[in-house]
Amino acid sequence: MEKKVKEPLNPYLAGVLLGLVLLASYVVLGAGLGASGGLTRLAAALELVLAPEHTLGSAYFGSYGTTPLSYYLVFMLLGVFLGGLFSALTSGRFSAGLEKGAAFPAWGRIGLAAGGGLLVGFASRLARGCTSGQALTGGAQLLTGSLVFLVCMFASGYALAWLFRRQWRD
Amino acid sequence: MIETFYLANGLNTPAGFLAAFLIGLAFGFVLEQAGFGSSRRIAGVFYFTDLRVIKVMFSALVTAALGLAYLQVFGLLGPENVHYSPTVLGAQAVGGLIFGVGFAMSGWCPGTSAVGMASGRLDAAVFLASAILGSLVFNELYPALKPLYGWGGQGVRLVHQSLGLGRTGFILVLTLAAVAVFQAVERIDRWRAQAPQGAGTGRRSLSLALVILALGLVVAPTPRPLKATAAPAAEPGLRAVSEAELLAAVAQAADHIEPEELAQRLLAGEPGLTLIDLRTPAEYQTFHLPGAVNLALPELDSFLRTTRPQGLVVLYSNGMTHPAQARDALQRMGHRNVYILTDGLKGFMERCLKPVSLRTEPLQPGLAEKVRAWRAFFLQPAGAKEKPSPAAEGATDLKAPGLAPTDWLAANLGREGIRLVDLRDQASYNQGHIPGSIRLDLESLRGAVRGVPSMLLPARLLAGQMSLLGLGPTDLVVLITDSKPRDATLFGLALERLGHLRYLILEGGSIRWTAERRPWDQKLPMVEVSAYPVPAQEDGFTVGFEEVLAASREKGTIILDVRPADYFKGLKSDEARAGHIPGAVNRPFQEDLTESGGQTVFKPLAELEKAYAGLIPAKDAPVIVHCRTGHQASQTWFVLKRLLGYTRVKWYDAGWTEWAAREELPVEK
Repeated sequence: MEKKVKEPLNPYLAGVLLGLVLLASYVVLGAGLGASGGLTRLAAALELVLAPEHTLGSAYFGSYGTTPLSYYLVFMLLGVFLGGLFSALTSGRFSAGLEKGAAFPAWGRIGLAAGGGLLVGFASRLARGCTSGQALTGGAQLLTGSLVFLVCMFASGYALAWLFRRQWRD
Repeated sequence: MIETFYLANGLNTPAGFLAAFLIGLAFGFVLEQAGFGSSRRIAGVFYFTDLRVIKVMFSALVTAALGLAYLQVFGLLGPENVHYSPTVLGAQAVGGLIFGVGFAMSGWCPGTSAVGMASGRLDAAVFLASAILGSLVFNELYPALKPLYGWGGQGVRLVHQSLGLGRTGFILVLTLAAVAVFQAVERIDRWRAQAPQGAGTGRRSLSLALVILALGLVVAPTPRPLKATAAPAAEPGLRAVSEAELLAAVAQAADHIEPEELAQRLLAGEPGLTLIDLRTPAEYQTFHLPGAVNLALPELDSFLRTTRPQGLVVLYSNGMTHPAQARDALQRMGHRNVYILTDGLKGFMERCLKPVSLRTEPLQPGLAEKVRAWRAFFLQPAGAKEKPSPAAEGATDLKAPGLAPTDWLAANLGREGIRLVDLRDQASYNQGHIPGSIRLDLESLRGAVRGVPSMLLPARLLAGQMSLLGLGPTDLVVLITDSKPRDATLFGLALERLGHLRYLILEGGSIRWTAERRPWDQKLPMVEVSAYPVPAQEDGFTVGFEEVLAASREKGTIILDVRPADYFKGLKSDEARAGHIPGAVNRPFQEDLTESGGQTVFKPLAELEKAYAGLIPAKDAPVIVHCRTGHQASQTWFVLKRLLGYTRVKWYDAGWTEWAAREELPVEK
């Protein structure tokens, strides 16, 4: 990566672009954006390999059938990854490593990332979506539940962020 | 109306996958450009060190909300072609709270972490793997979480409905709120003096643009399709039909109703049927079909809008041209369920009312009796013919087929034209029953048909049974069970097979009746054997395995397997093979029932409505219900078709008994 690291896009411009991508998704797909939907399909596919009988018999993953990956959000997630990869490479922002404050131990940051992932993966299922599928997609559709999700998400984030502040301390 | 993948039911097809992939590419690209490949930058929102998450999210949200509103104003997008997810307030609030903790803890959410991983971040990869694990945990805990998962379910709910505001007004408020948030955020940036350079540029122009767009909505025209912005469930029926759908319906003759069928339905006093006579008032005065309303073509739309008929609407004139043109126009305006009478009133006279003695063509079996019944009914002197049955006066307040409260039955007990059929076992009946009720063993309606056991008998044999019970086609039949509503619904299907729609199921059955200490005796009623007419047509709702197999392959039809979950999953089986029909969805029939004080009743309609809205995309979506022998499925059929108003519900009577035994049919576990 010889290229100069570019600053990210102006946030308002990025926001408008993101809004337009979401609109395009409504218009073309007839459904908004989603990321956790793809993840949960990956989870189901994984469990299907490990314990097929159990997975198909479970009330939640069972409804995905024997081919959980045949689902549009799996392909969207793949697109997100590749789109992000392209952008990171061309902007020079690709950098392999763990992102944390210099004064914080690596295992601590990994632990927090893992703990956060667990909560987010679980909560996305409970709320039927994540930041993309629920907060943004449903929020722009003015759905009551999606906006409640958005408010609750920021409320608990701000309430407890103090506990996790040290990971960013240099 | 844009043909989205969702509307075409094509999200999960190769073309849908490609479209989703391409949108994903753009989504990932923008997220990374926004700087969301970095957890530190994202987490900055919680420590006021970098507030771009708020700037990006809110400008995206308002941009998309405004764009969506404009597309709706122009009738291009609405709940028909865009998926709207239901609001489940409790689950979403709790989910949001947990999500926020995880978000602050890790600095990632699912979408950004995919971009973070693509940017080489190890913590993003750890987060993603954990999030997958989190979904797994949810799946394992799901049985215990079910109440929480459904807590506060309200169906599709728009926030302005919840707040009692207009949509445009709410969007304006939202836009102004976003503008205020942007300003506050810039102020925080300046105050902390930590803002990256140039972070504030563009705020004013964006704010201005958004406010102008929001104000534009206030003055924008609001054409009719805007109705669609309400929750789909709240506006049943008014979904405009595309030209292609219209042509397809015409090609399949799905826009016609045959005179014989109409005659039978009118004779049976079908509730909710609206008959519209399009001829001149003079012709109408001379003769019209009973119950018909005389309207001129321009009056049709407003009439249907104000009366909102729930059942069939049949248009007729002398011929077919005017009704056909009117029907197409009405469908374009979004009125569903409108049919034209094949061959018009002339055809009706010729095919239904022409005396048998004048007919030269060979008569179908049973037609002669029917023609006599029709002539007696339709050619009565004016005045007498507006009432289909003596029982109608007492029963007008109840929708049949439907449920009869015990109060209603107590008030109407002994009234002419109301017949009671008790489906409990013989010993219980002998010990005591509702006065005047006749007992029938449900099994006398079933038998082996073409080698498949426990099939509902053909119409001819059912008509024989009804004749033995002394029932006539215009009787209002009240069905009584103890704790098994499915016994009543199976009898109901026997009546439906005969085209007999005047039946009610006693709510709470004999148990509620006796608990309320209502009349009860041990006498056998006097019954005169009648000659119940045999319908000429098939019942229209029973399907064989061929149709189910085709539905299972094509995926457009929802196959509801109503057996208990263990049987669906193949953990238990009493048949040749265990499992279920590929693609079938399990909704055990017991889940439609609730018990209190020993009385088994259907769950409240709102609850059923909600449960099935989650399984079946639209009221006119094709559905096939089945169980093992057809008995349990008769209950789900009744719930969907008669209580909830789903219009295309079919019944696979042979069910798992047949499917499991036919080895060539595919089974899924």
